[in-house]
Amino acid sequence: MRAKVGLGAIAYFGLNGAILFFLLAPIAIVSVFAVNPTPYISFPPVGFTLVWFAKFFANPDFINALWLSLKVAAAVLVLSMLIGATAALALARGNLPGARLATALFMSPLMLPAILTGLALFQIYLLAGIGRPIWGLVMGHTVVAVPYVIRTTLAVLHNFDRRLEEAAAALGANPVRVFVEVTLPLIRPGVIAGGIFAFIVSFDQFPVSLFLVVPKGETLPVVLFNYMKFDLDGAIAAASMVSIALALSVVILLEWIIGLRAYLKL
Amino acid sequence: MASNLAGRVSPVSAGTRRERKATAVGWLIGPALLLFALFFLLPLGVLGVMAFLSGNPVNAPAVHFTLRHFERFFGDDLYPEALWATLRIGFLTTLAALLLGYPLAHLMARAHSRIGHALLLMGVIAPMLTGIVVRTFAWMTLLQDRGVINTMLVALGVTEKPLKLMYNEFGTIVALTHIYVPFMVLTLAGVIGRVDERLEEAARSLGATRWRAFREVTLPLSLPGILAGSLLVFALSISAYVTPFLMGGTDVLTLPMLIYQQVSSSFNPNFAGALGLILLAVSLAVVIAYNKVLAGLAGEGA
Repeated sequence: MRAKVGLGAIAYFGLNGAILFFLLAPIAIVSVFAVNPTPYISFPPVGFTLVWFAKFFANPDFINALWLSLKVAAAVLVLSMLIGATAALALARGNLPGARLATALFMSPLMLPAILTGLALFQIYLLAGIGRPIWGLVMGHTVVAVPYVIRTTLAVLHNFDRRLEEAAAALGANPVRVFVEVTLPLIRPGVIAGGIFAFIVSFDQFPVSLFLVVPKGETLPVVLFNYMKFDLDGAIAAASMVSIALALSVVILLEWIIGLRAYLKL
Repeated sequence: MASNLAGRVSPVSAGTRRERKATAVGWLIGPALLLFALFFLLPLGVLGVMAFLSGNPVNAPAVHFTLRHFERFFGDDLYPEALWATLRIGFLTTLAALLLGYPLAHLMARAHSRIGHALLLMGVIAPMLTGIVVRTFAWMTLLQDRGVINTMLVALGVTEKPLKLMYNEFGTIVALTHIYVPFMVLTLAGVIGRVDERLEEAARSLGATRWRAFREVTLPLSLPGILAGSLLVFALSISAYVTPFLMGGTDVLTLPMLIYQQVSSSFNPNFAGALGLILLAVSLAVVIAYNKVLAGLAGEGA
């Protein structure tokens, strides 16, 4: 009986260990190719070089794309935090008729194939004759990023004690003061978590970007994809490392501001 | 509940103040509604109309309604086959992501130490932060003929010639599964975490084995999470473009690849719209069918 339970536990942890290995090993392997000097992908590695990083940083296509991606993601971060937090407040506190319908609408970009969002925006920009401006790309990213902010903010709003606001009001604070001094500090972790999610969604966004970028004005994932169609060398691995490092610093920032545990409780 | 408590504080004024405040806060929905009207609903409406037009109504004056894009779709085996391949890849990816994601989500939901939980969470989020293009690159280095796995298999003498692990549907599904497992885990972990552990303990104290307690208590109660996670992964994987393109080679043709081809090289936005509408209709139908099946299962379990 004891041995049986032990075997089950071994199987359980062994299986989970294998799944974690499946998740993490491919990412670890990219770092190997980023410093392996052979001109094509080969294994095992034969040495150490930084030439691929040099190639990445010396290539204006990569650097321009990186800057564009960062700028777009920063704009999406700000826009989606503003739009998402106000919408969540209205949904949770506004007594709106049709609040459920509105919530379903705001969440639908998560379930709709993103390639359709990209295609639909491409078509309307085409019909409107506005070309493919950067603000159009930003709006496309914002539509798919806002749901994350609304979700995290709504979760916080549902969890916090509404009596805090009512107590402040009963003690004579006007609605604006209640909002600024009670509501805003309480929802801040949710808004920030959602905002960082929005940043990453935009920074790694592919299907929406694919339709909305112009030649020579492509975001980093699109440039990497186009490069990989013809070349599979260490420069891609180095670019991957740079973009992982950027995303990781965002997560460390997140851990530092609100803690990872709060981040999970969406 | 909140209104009762507020009533106790100050019955009349709190009530009226709350109602007045409610309307004011309600206006805050404006920016989001505007964003979704202009950049989501309107474009999707235009997409739906474009699918039934013979050309671009802005620069072609003689545009008329037509069904010819849909006739073209069903008149050529190429397109229904691409649709079928898209759905097949979506189903298999969802199934694989569920089988790999559930154990990990269970471990995460039942981890009692803060550190253990945080480490698991980092392990799941790290791949998500890596981006689709980078993860596809990782799988190309693993699965290609001179890749890590084939090099090791040949060195170990398991096989003489490298196995064809990519440029086919298999490689596509493996990479897609890797990309979407974290979404499954995060969706499931929240739901499993809300299933009271004491229910499982009660079942075990009544004589059920650990496995039976899991199968008859936790698993049925986590069905909503399975539903939500599967729908999310399915929607993401039928929409995938990068991974089927790079991992599938010439063997794999999916609807998103056809859609982009129509926009970028054939420049036929109307046919692209029809393809998009078909993808949308089929994915909605699958979502509804899946919902019904799971609702039936949940009814039986109760």
